Amino acid sequence: MVAVFLDGIVAGLQLGLLAVGLTLLYGLGGILNLAHGAMAVAAAMITAALMNASVPVVLAALAGIATATLIGLLLDQTVMRPVYRMEGEGRVLLSLLLSLGVAFVIDGILGWQWPNAALSIRIGGGAVPLFGVPMRMGSLYASGIALVAIGLVNVFLRRTRQGRAVRSVIQDEQGARLIGVNPAMVRTLIFALGGALAGLVAMTQSMTAPVNVTAGFNFTILALIVTVVGGLGSARGALFAGIILGIVNALSAYLIGAYITSIILLAAAALTILARPEGLFGRSA
Amino acid sequence: MSTATAQTGASSVVVGDASTRHRTVPMAYAPIAVAALLLALVPVFIGDSRTYMGLAMGGLTIAAYAVAFNVIFGSTGQLFLAVGALAGIAGYASAILSDRFGWPLLLAMLVGTVAAAIVGGLFSWVSVRRSLDVIFTGIVTLTFSLGFESLLLGQRDLTGGETGLVVTAGAGTVLRGLVPPYYLFLAVLVAFLVLYRWLQRSHFGWAFTALRDDEMTAELAGVDVARYRVWAGAIGSAMLGLVGALYAHHEAFISPTSYAFHEVDVRTLVVLAFGGIGTLMGPVIGSVGFTIIDELIRDYGQLRLTIYGVILIALFLGFRGGVGPAVVGAWHRLSRSARAAPAEPDAG
Repeated sequence: MVAVFLDGIVAGLQLGLLAVGLTLLYGLGGILNLAHGAMAVAAAMITAALMNASVPVVLAALAGIATATLIGLLLDQTVMRPVYRMEGEGRVLLSLLLSLGVAFVIDGILGWQWPNAALSIRIGGGAVPLFGVPMRMGSLYASGIALVAIGLVNVFLRRTRQGRAVRSVIQDEQGARLIGVNPAMVRTLIFALGGALAGLVAMTQSMTAPVNVTAGFNFTILALIVTVVGGLGSARGALFAGIILGIVNALSAYLIGAYITSIILLAAAALTILARPEGLFGRSA
Repeated sequence: MSTATAQTGASSVVVGDASTRHRTVPMAYAPIAVAALLLALVPVFIGDSRTYMGLAMGGLTIAAYAVAFNVIFGSTGQLFLAVGALAGIAGYASAILSDRFGWPLLLAMLVGTVAAAIVGGLFSWVSVRRSLDVIFTGIVTLTFSLGFESLLLGQRDLTGGETGLVVTAGAGTVLRGLVPPYYLFLAVLVAFLVLYRWLQRSHFGWAFTALRDDEMTAELAGVDVARYRVWAGAIGSAMLGLVGALYAHHEAFISPTSYAFHEVDVRTLVVLAFGGIGTLMGPVIGSVGFTIIDELIRDYGQLRLTIYGVILIALFLGFRGGVGPAVVGAWHRLSRSARAAPAEPDAG
């Protein structure tokens, strides 16, 4: 039972990290990036290709994360430009449809270039006992990296000048503008950060299970569900929701069975929206 | 695309809608008749080719899905990302009821269609009651789509899971063969188009337009927003269900992929992006264009996905209202300048 809980937390940390970029972008001004998962898979494929060319794992992983970051920057500077000129629901819809197109483009190129590729980073070493449960080294590494990244994101958002600028735009774009914050710059920053985190999650995921070239759609859906449950625009909410859903997922998979699990997860998301549209941790409107 | 339509270059869509209402009855339905006539000629040229008739049937199916989606989203701005799932409810229900429980085919299809209508109406009712915006409605219906897919995969005994279900009911009827089902599906599509145009021109249409332009004002003017939304959701879902059921008995085989989100919903969106969301002929124009392009780039394998992505991006950046309205708009501008009318600032 403890093992199931721990597995859930390991998976949940990564779900949360995956959703942070998505939720911050939405909070910054109603941009829903459906290419989020595709960015993660692009990172995974670049890393896998470099590892095949016997580049050291750490370098390959960094190159993968850099790729995802670059895609994020590129999106912000090109396709998303017209989106920023719109307002309200029109903005959300256009960002959704355009980023869906981008996801197709990336998925198509990756599937064409590497039809059957998968990234798995093997972490050596035997199982390590944690709370009396043997944990695989890969899970521990993945959780450790995720925790450090979450800590860094938190420090960035709460302690640094740039991070405070991000939060100020989320709270009140007009007000932020008045005190000299440039929302466009903040958006660029978050697009890059979201890309980097998506890339990072691809790396940590591949330490416990292979990341396939077709995983992009699933990544996006999972991130979307976590984002909605946690409250659109709340980084902290995304992290908590990720962990909660991770545990729910592991528990129901253990107790009930695999296929009901995905239905429970989806039902949880739908019910959260209906019962509390601002999300579990979102500020009520 | 409610707000987007009102605010951007796609305003030609709204203008087009408004002007159609003042047209005489024959003029309002003329585009449907022309399209029906042209599409009716298709089997004359490719009627003996199994491959091409298959493509044409696929095109008709997607066009019908798109008209139904238009009834729900194009007119009331409810983003139902469950086109495939709603069609699948009816498809699976009809197939299982007729094959496993021996129900008469028509009754099974009717029950399936009604089931889809109830689920769709329920979506609308819930989203009205909880006053969900476009995105939340989209996400709730999307989770339903994915949940439905998992359910199909899981209920192996009933649905056959991943391997799918061979549908025997429908054999020996007009639903099987090459040419007869084509005309049946064409008749359904034409009926959908007529229904859509009729809805547009009825008090429904006035209420929908009022809602889309300014929901608050519409409500103050006495338009029962909730009622119209729920009706649109239920009618559109019934249309999806009917097509889904017909599809199941025509194809004689269904699997979760037949109604999967990434197959049906995504394709419907691309078709509407091409033809124009919320327009009468958008689904037909988009579907014809999509089917032709799909055939042209068949050999590109995985890169097809990339090509679709590029098309989608280009369409939404270039012609936000779809290619159809853009062409019509260009035609109007041309004919206007030909008549040497004083150049007026264009709304687009």
